[in-house]
Amino acid sequence: MTDSQATPGEAPGVAEPTTDPSAPPRIDTANDALRDGVNRCPKCGSTEIRLRVSAGMLTCLFCRYEWSEARIDPVVSGEVPLQDLTGTIVASGASDISPEVAGIITLKCAGCGSEVVVNTAEAMSSRCHWCRHLLTINEQVPNGAVPDAVLPFGVTRDQALQSIRDFAGARRMFAHRKFRRDFAPDKVVGVYLPYLVVDGNASADVQGHGEILTRRYTRKEGDQEVTYYDADVYQVNRHVDFTVDDLTIESSAERANQDAFVNTNNIINAILPFDTKNAVRWNANYLVGFTSERRDQDVAQVQPVLEDQLLSIARSQVEGSVARYDRGVRWEAEHLVVHGTRWVSMYLPVWLYSYYSEDGGQAMVHYIAVNGRTGETMGSIPVSYGRLILAALAAGTVLEVLVLWLLAVMS
Amino acid sequence: MTTLLIGLLIPLASSGDTPWILLLGPAGAVAVYWGLFQYYRNTDKSHAFEHETLIESQPITGTDQKVDEVRGTHRSSIDGDNAHHHRQRVQRW
Repeated sequence: MTDSQATPGEAPGVAEPTTDPSAPPRIDTANDALRDGVNRCPKCGSTEIRLRVSAGMLTCLFCRYEWSEARIDPVVSGEVPLQDLTGTIVASGASDISPEVAGIITLKCAGCGSEVVVNTAEAMSSRCHWCRHLLTINEQVPNGAVPDAVLPFGVTRDQALQSIRDFAGARRMFAHRKFRRDFAPDKVVGVYLPYLVVDGNASADVQGHGEILTRRYTRKEGDQEVTYYDADVYQVNRHVDFTVDDLTIESSAERANQDAFVNTNNIINAILPFDTKNAVRWNANYLVGFTSERRDQDVAQVQPVLEDQLLSIARSQVEGSVARYDRGVRWEAEHLVVHGTRWVSMYLPVWLYSYYSEDGGQAMVHYIAVNGRTGETMGSIPVSYGRLILAALAAGTVLEVLVLWLLAVMS
Repeated sequence: MTTLLIGLLIPLASSGDTPWILLLGPAGAVAVYWGLFQYYRNTDKSHAFEHETLIESQPITGTDQKVDEVRGTHRSSIDGDNAHHHRQRVQRW
């Protein structure tokens, strides 16, 4: 038994006009079929609803009815081709966070009338402690807790556990002794992390100098042969118009900080990309049994990250056009024009094993992360510096002995 | 492996650069340390969005104008070559 819920009466992809003419166009992605509090199984009325990861469907634990929310992509993409995208379009779930709106929401249980508190920084559902109904948060209040879409887990916990074991198992020899002793992969948790997924239409120009080798020759200077090069120098300009589809950017300030000297957030970044085209409309029941992190960054705050990534993409795109410069190209200036962007907020699934360690007084949390859709795994394992140095010295010594032996033979 | 190393070292040793060859030991130690460290810590890993995002670009346009010549330089490549370093930002205008 499967079914798909779609909100009727919506024109997909049509940006709503707003009352404020200076405000950016907005796509309404609110799932009007759901509300805050009790949301029941469409067949039997139970609130015991979970994601069945192996099927990617919501399942009623009482009657086993299965269904899923509709994909978000047709709603936000519309019929406008990306190369015609202009302005900044923000889906309703990615709208600016209002500092006055609290992260802790109190729900009134429709089952018994009691009040239940949900801390949206960590979870999007809570069980009524009186009548045992499960209450969920589904309304897009402007605190970053309810995104436009969610990409349900597709990799099961057992699969993630195996990936984490394999990853750490291949790195046992030089792992820190305490890590090897404490390693407990069954502590892995499924987390929905917040991202802003952006489509963009942009143009970029780059300017610089390139060199083409014209002559290579050697001259004898004393006992040595010295190599010289002649080259032609060119002023190089390149222009590229391009579109990007579903560029994925962290929308949590903590996760966006990827300084590898103080944290291992780059590990979580490295397991991107996700198949974001398969994200579905928000339903908090997808998160039941998992934890989540709330978005705390607005579109304007991640705009510099977007521009940086678009410039990198532009530089990557023009690389093939300067292959003739066999002595390389030195880009000296770059320019970006963003014609249009379309922003959607999403919760994306990550299996996360974390290990806290202190090296030389510096605390660090090491992650092993598994992409909850593709299974791609990346991690950071704390190392035993003593054993690492010993191995390096041993390798260096072997190499040096080999060199000395060779020199002795030659002489 | 040993045969490969000897094959590499013999031309170096015969070119009269004996002091440089002696640095192979320390250089090898540093390379082993760094290689193992990265295999465990992966501090250099990140999402390759330049290749892993759906990108459609129009044909690249531009100009190439010869402006100078370099004669008798020791450098085997242009100074500051960043053609492959897409994430290294330069001056924006």
